[in-house]
Formats: sequence, C-alpha cells, structure tokens
Amino acid sequence: MEETKKGTVTSLSSVFPAEEAQKAVKRVQDTIADKHSELDSLRGFVADNNNLINLVHKLPEQLSHDIMVPFGKAAFFPGRLVHTNEFLVLLGEGYYAERTSKQTVEILTRRGKSLDSRVDSIEAIIKDLQAEASFFNATASEALEGLVEIREDYVEEDCKQESKSGPLKQPGPDFGKTTADDQQYALMMSRLDELEKQEELAAESGNHSDQNEETTSDTDDISYQRPTDNNLQSSQDFRQGMLLDQTKSKSVATEIPKKQNHQEDIADQLNFASLSVQSKVQEKENVSKKVRFVDEGEKLVHPEEKIVKATTASKSEVQHQTSQTSFDSRKAFTGSIVEHAENIKTTPREQSSTSSQVSGSQPKKPVSRFRMQRK
Amino acid sequence: MDNIRQEKVQRYEEFVDKRLKPDLQHAIAQRDKVFEQQKIFADLRKNIENLEKNSVTSLRTMVNLGSEVYLQAEVPNTQHIFVDIGLGFHVEFTWSEALNYIAKREEKIARQIEEYTQLIASIKAQIKLVLEGIREILQLPVGKSSQERIF
Repeated sequence: MEETKKGTVTSLSSVFPAEEAQKAVKRVQDTIADKHSELDSLRGFVADNNNLINLVHKLPEQLSHDIMVPFGKAAFFPGRLVHTNEFLVLLGEGYYAERTSKQTVEILTRRGKSLDSRVDSIEAIIKDLQAEASFFNATASEALEGLVEIREDYVEEDCKQESKSGPLKQPGPDFGKTTADDQQYALMMSRLDELEKQEELAAESGNHSDQNEETTSDTDDISYQRPTDNNLQSSQDFRQGMLLDQTKSKSVATEIPKKQNHQEDIADQLNFASLSVQSKVQEKENVSKKVRFVDEGEKLVHPEEKIVKATTASKSEVQHQTSQTSFDSRKAFTGSIVEHAENIKTTPREQSSTSSQVSGSQPKKPVSRFRMQRK
Repeated sequence: MDNIRQEKVQRYEEFVDKRLKPDLQHAIAQRDKVFEQQKIFADLRKNIENLEKNSVTSLRTMVNLGSEVYLQAEVPNTQHIFVDIGLGFHVEFTWSEALNYIAKREEKIARQIEEYTQLIASIKAQIKLVLEGIREILQLPVGKSSQERIF
C-alpha cells in the first residue's frame, strides 16, 4: 500500500537527454576555448609589461640610444633617444604625466599587478568551467548508461511507523536490501535506547562505588590526555609546596576554581583540604613517594605512569567516597587530595557537579560500550 | 518527393551558412586590412610632403615604447627615410624616391582593393543565387523578395 505511493523513478536520460548533455559539454568547451584565448592575450600583455619595465629600467643608464624613430606606421628615420630619464606616461582619459624612470617603473608594476589579478580571475573561471564540463560529461555518460533517479518524499509519519513496525514490514522486491538494513538499524537503535534507559536508572539509584570504579578505570585510558597536563601543573605545584607551604596552598587554591569551576566555598574547602594534604604528604610515605616520583620524573608524564599512580592511590586510600571525585581530584593533584575529600563530606552539589563533569568530559560511547560488555 | 526537396533545401542552406558566409567574412576582413595599408601610405605621403614643404632638416618626436609610455627622440637628419616594403624589409629612400615608391604602392593597393571588392561582390551574388534556388525548390512566389530589392 505504502510502497506504491512511496516514490518516483525517472530515468536520467529522460530528464537530461544524452545529446543535450553533450551539446552542453560542447558549449562549455567553446567558452573555455574563448577564455583560454583571452588568457593568452592577457599573458601577452603581462609579458609586454615586464619587458617594458626592464626597458624603462635600463634606458637611463645611457644618455642617448641610437634607434630607428618610427614615422607613421610604415617608415622610420634613423635617430636617437634623448632625455632618457623623462618619460611621458598615459594615465588614462588622454592625460599624460611626466615621470622619471623609477616612477614609471612603479606605475608599470602597479599595472602588472592588476593584470595578474585579471589573469588569476580568468584562470579561476576556466577551472569552474572545466568542472562544469566534466559534470556535464558525467551526466551524459550516466544518461547513456541508463541511470535512473529515484525520488522519495520524506514523511514524518512513515518514519515512525517504520521504526515501530519496521521488522514486520513486507519489503518490496526492489527495496529489499535497504529495508533489511533498516531493520538492523531499528534493532540497534532500540537496543541502544534500552541500554541508555538502564544507564539512567543506574544513575538515579545512586552511584555504586564498584560500578563507578570500573567505569573510571575503563575511561582512565581514554581521557588521559587532559589529565596529564593538569598533572604536570599540579606536580610543579607540589614541588613548590614542599619548599613553601603557603605558596603551595595558594597556588592549589587558585588552580582548583579555575579547573573545576566550583563555587567559592568549595574552593575554600579544597583549600583547606590541600593544606591538610600538605601535612599528610610528610606523614604518608606512599603519597610522598608518589610526589617524589613526580618530582624526579621529567615534564612528560606518560599515561602508563599515571595509571600506576592511580592504582597505588586507590590501593592505599580507603575508598569511602565516590571514586568519581577521586578520579577528578586525581586529575588535579595526583590523587593525594582524595583522602581529604572524605573529611569534607562531599556536598551533594559538588558531587553533582563532578558527576556532571565526568559525564561531560567523558564521551558517552565508552561508558555504554562498557555497559554492553557487562550484559 | 517532399523528403528529397527537404534534403536539397537543407544542403543548400548548409552550403550558404558553412561555406559562402565564412568566405565572405574572410574576404571582407582581408579588404579591411588593405584599406588600413592604404591609409598608412596616404598618411606617410602627406607627412613627407609636409616635411618637404617646410624643409625640415631635423626633427624631435615622441616615441611610444609600448603601453603608452613615451620618450623623446631626436632625428638629426631627415633626408633619409626607411620605408617598409613588405615582408619585414625596409629600404632607405630620399624623400623623392620615397614619394615615387609610395605612389606605386598606393596604385597596387588600389588594385588589391578592387580585386577584393570584386570577390566580395561575387560571393554575395553566389549567396543570392543559392537562396533563389532554395526559393525555387520551395516554389515560393517571386514577387515579394524581388519587390523588396527594387526599393
């Protein structure tokens, strides 16, 4: 029923007869030939202009030049050029200006530039025309081959029905392949929808730490390019911090709001956290080792190193709070601040912001892929 | 019968359009070139006569270097003039010799123009002949076109 009114099939040769297309090709070729001759004459002008520039440049080198002075078009007198540095240049509209050799050369170079631009424009036109000709040629050959044009109006309702009743639909003999593809596509889409729904449900029911842990570990590999940079900065901060307590805490405090765009109170909290990090750094061997590792390491922190650090951090630290925050803070402070986030009792706002950050920063694809793997 | 006639008419028309008319155009272009030559030599003759009349012995003029850039030039001695005799050859003449040559050249050019005019007229006549033939084949009345020609 629907297939009957679905579309129209017109052979290309009925719309564009081959002879017509070939005629068009010929016409375009003629135009191209015209433009080519125009281009040639322009090129001639350019060459003349360049010769003249050279001539004008050289003439003042001598006081006079022996030449044949033209007398009319068919006769000459033997004579010589005098006042070789006084040129009379036509400015247009019958006005002439007396110029020196140098000034004349300037005028001529300006003329040359305008000629060059004209040459360029004609070349561009020729290129366009050649593209047109090749298009007409292609059309002609396609028309000769008996190509058909299938035109189908897009209807919103049809689309919906297709997605719902796609698999049940009886495909027409001509469109069998495409509908089969559509079926597959519809199946895939419904599967994806399902997965997304499950994802949403999971997000609503609260972040299970183990799940998130896996998520982060999954995404760690992917989203490392950005963290390494931050890591570098923060590692430098740490280095400074070992020497100067105050500057360290300040620099971290300034860095956090920049990076995470948190509210000021959170920044303060983190500031406090970083201060305590400072004290803990000296206490905790594991963390200090890490810091030293960063210290010793070159500017380039490889992703592999980063992973090692991340795992050590997750091992050494008690995983009470959400690992999402730990992941985020690890980005910033090589994982040491995580400990203190638990002291602060991460506010829901922060959590939401971090989670949103995570979802924003991480491409959706890997997560869903992971989910698919879990199924 | 009709088909044959149609074919003939088409052949004649093709002959007119693809052979006679291009020939005519070519002949006219050639004649125009000769007209130009005639003008050049007429100018030269006038100029030389002018120089003779004013008994000019030296001359200052502006030389076009191309692209309408002029430079002053001096001719110290105007007694000898080099005239283009065709095929890129120039012959050194005195004024009187030059005037003689120019007179002969003008004569020849006039002859050439006459020839070309004849040629053009004959081509035009042929075109008209063929068009008449087409009219005859189509059996159109003579009156209209011949009347037009009278006026």
